[in-house]
Amino acid sequence: MPDEVPAGFPDGFGQGPGETDALLLLRCLLGPTPRALHALIWGTGSASRALARIRARGAGSDNDRAFLANADVGVIRRRLDRVGARFAAPGDPDYCPAFLRLADPPIGVFARGGALGHGDDRVAVVGSRRPTATGTEVAVDLGRGLAVAGVVTVSGGAVGIDAAAHRGALDAGGSTVAVLGSGIDVAHPARNRGLFERIEASGTLISEYPPGAPAEPFRFPARNRLIAALSRGVVVVEGAAKSGTRITAEHAVDLGLDVFALPGPVTSPLAETPLGLIRDGATMIRGTADLLEDLGLEGRVFEGGVPRGLSADEHRVLAMLATSMLPTAVARATGLPVADTLTVLIGLELRGFIRGVGGRFERTFAAARTQPTG
Amino acid sequence: MYGRVIGVTVLGVGGHPVTVEAFVGRGLPSLTVTGLPGAAVQDARDRIRPAVEHAELEWPLRRVVVNLAPGNLRKEGAGLDLPIAVSVLVATRQVPPKAAAGQVFFGEVSLKGEVLPTPGVISVAIAAARRGLRGVIVPAANAVEAAQVDGLAVTGVATIQDVVGFLRGTWRPQELATTVVESARTGSADLSEVRGQDEARRALEVAAAGGHNLLMVGSPGAGKTMLARRLPTILPDLTREEALEATQLHSVAGLLAGRGLLRERPFRAPHHSVSTAGLLGGGSTVLRPGEASLAHRGVLFLDELTEFRRDAIEALRQPLEDGRIVVTRAGGSVSFPARFTLVAAANPCPCGFSGDPRRSCRCRPDQEDRYRQKLSGPLLDRIDLRLSIPRLTKDELLGASAGEPSAVVRDRVIAARDRQRRRYSALAITCNADLPGPIARREAQLSPGAERLLGRAVEHMALTGRGFDRVVKVARTVADLAGDERVSESHVAEALSYRTAFEQDESLPRAG
Repeated sequence: MPDEVPAGFPDGFGQGPGETDALLLLRCLLGPTPRALHALIWGTGSASRALARIRARGAGSDNDRAFLANADVGVIRRRLDRVGARFAAPGDPDYCPAFLRLADPPIGVFARGGALGHGDDRVAVVGSRRPTATGTEVAVDLGRGLAVAGVVTVSGGAVGIDAAAHRGALDAGGSTVAVLGSGIDVAHPARNRGLFERIEASGTLISEYPPGAPAEPFRFPARNRLIAALSRGVVVVEGAAKSGTRITAEHAVDLGLDVFALPGPVTSPLAETPLGLIRDGATMIRGTADLLEDLGLEGRVFEGGVPRGLSADEHRVLAMLATSMLPTAVARATGLPVADTLTVLIGLELRGFIRGVGGRFERTFAAARTQPTG
Repeated sequence: MYGRVIGVTVLGVGGHPVTVEAFVGRGLPSLTVTGLPGAAVQDARDRIRPAVEHAELEWPLRRVVVNLAPGNLRKEGAGLDLPIAVSVLVATRQVPPKAAAGQVFFGEVSLKGEVLPTPGVISVAIAAARRGLRGVIVPAANAVEAAQVDGLAVTGVATIQDVVGFLRGTWRPQELATTVVESARTGSADLSEVRGQDEARRALEVAAAGGHNLLMVGSPGAGKTMLARRLPTILPDLTREEALEATQLHSVAGLLAGRGLLRERPFRAPHHSVSTAGLLGGGSTVLRPGEASLAHRGVLFLDELTEFRRDAIEALRQPLEDGRIVVTRAGGSVSFPARFTLVAAANPCPCGFSGDPRRSCRCRPDQEDRYRQKLSGPLLDRIDLRLSIPRLTKDELLGASAGEPSAVVRDRVIAARDRQRRRYSALAITCNADLPGPIARREAQLSPGAERLLGRAVEHMALTGRGFDRVVKVARTVADLAGDERVSESHVAEALSYRTAFEQDESLPRAG
């Protein structure tokens, strides 16, 4: 086995009937890491020889051999067919060629939904599973803006920023790619089941893991390298200091992609990753317009359909809400009667400029986008 | 030898007159009780002879049969001890039969011949008055209670000797302290003591004015319990009829503690470990009212709503719909009144700090989902006002103006309630909260501006049909508090502000 594992895969890898089956079996092993499988392929030269070496105890674990002893390619293929999933080896249409630029490319991936378009422009939007309301709104807006500009949004399958970005893009009629941290037939987290169905209908679901593999936190970092590889740039919305979001950004840097980050308050734990990335040289963006401009798509800037014509009272209240405030505090600050203040606040809430959080009102991202400075 | 007196058995909350007959005849000394006596009544057999003998009266050493009529009615409770004893004394002519006629006897006796405090005396007095009887003879400790019922001569007795002395005309009871003192509110709590929280204070006022149930969602320490305790202080005074109903329930539960009539609206705050029977009423032999009935005409406060047993919470739907609880056991079923204002409190998430500006929430999304599911459900449908109670910052507390005292708010509440009563006189309801949904839309008299705002709310806030009805009812109450015939846009806006994060699922704003 050579010390330095070359990039990509040997010529003709994974092609031919015997090879395809061997590759599928290899990819269904839960034990070896993607890096170990990649090295094993280069060490043996082909999928069938790699499989033979594992069977001969030259690699892998006893668990792998126990699995192989009972494994049946036909059963696995039927299982994939049942959920409308397919297996893609390097060179197949659903195998993104950019995966081969990774130091540890997947030996194959599972896909559901539409085919991965090779001419597609793709940008990843990633962030925390527990974002702030503002972070969620930004992610929705980014997904929407990218969709209108004809760009496919790439993200994970988690709740929070991932889900918000997908939803924004899908609501605007766009297409998205979700890279799952579980098997292609496992809907995790359960609350995203409906979202996965929508993505399957107008985009693609991708997973590196065998059918039935449960979602385990240790798989998410490896999953994140595929998110980066699929994209021409990565946008980081919110993320804690040591987070999967940070890992995705690091993969993007390794691959030489553009990294964009949305700043947040220096006191917010969720701003640590974006602020750190900006300090390290990532591009600071204030929202969708900045992103599209930096991607060279400003001609197609999405204008969100912002309503005009706020009344004088509404302007006053909106300008007053620099922080989150109680309705009575707003009334005191503006001098409006409480009943009128409530009418104005509810009116602004209905137009999406402010939101109620735990009894107080605060501005939404939509307000920040439209509020003239000064 | 034969004697007959009248007693009362209390089943559930109602008193039922029972004719107690005694026959003393030939045979070995014994006491037999017939006529469907319950376990506590059977116990009386062994209690009564020592009690009578201790009172230096004679117990006939012959065969004694006591019959309780009507025979098809189950008799429960130790209150029949006294009439059984007196019936035997009448049969043996130790007291004159004429004197005992027209009186109702009620009370548990001890082996020493004392007449002990017994639950349910006010129900006994009401039953006696309804039957047109002349007077009641009840334990001295409960005499004040019985005196609340008009048109009855109440005699409070401490021992069996007192009873006999009274019937022979040799003993007079002490004059009852005039108990019909209209005691002012004791003022243990007042709304003016709540600092800041103007929004919550206002929501309490709306709840009181429209009879709306209230859910408060807020972090620990935000002041939910303090607010809830002050709701009774802004509700209208109990009417005499309401007070009698509430007093009856507290009397049968043995919670009156020597008081006469309840003057203040009850406030019950059961702990979340309460059993379904504890909350709704029950028991194996004697059916006792539960916390929901003890809160009748007052406030039932459920702190930490999510911690209550699911079945207990579900079972609250019946009283919330009908104002009554029917408890059925092997022995039969009774119905307890339970018309209360429900105030529930809950944390916004399992850790309690979701939405708090100064502490971050530590809950996983799936934990939050599960928590919200616990909070949703049929009970929530009956809660019109759902309020977020923020934990106030130092600045917000310091900037707060002094709140209005309860009495001022109560006057507005009373005026708003009068307005509703007049409007709904034809509908057999008294407040906005009781309006059925379709009628609410018709009766509310929405102004065009109010209609427009409601339309936009349906579109942008994902308001469901029921949510819509709730907003309309609450807006109607806000208008009633303002003394307006029509519901204006600002009334609807205020009603729309009484929603919590729980209703804004996934709270994604829609542009436009």
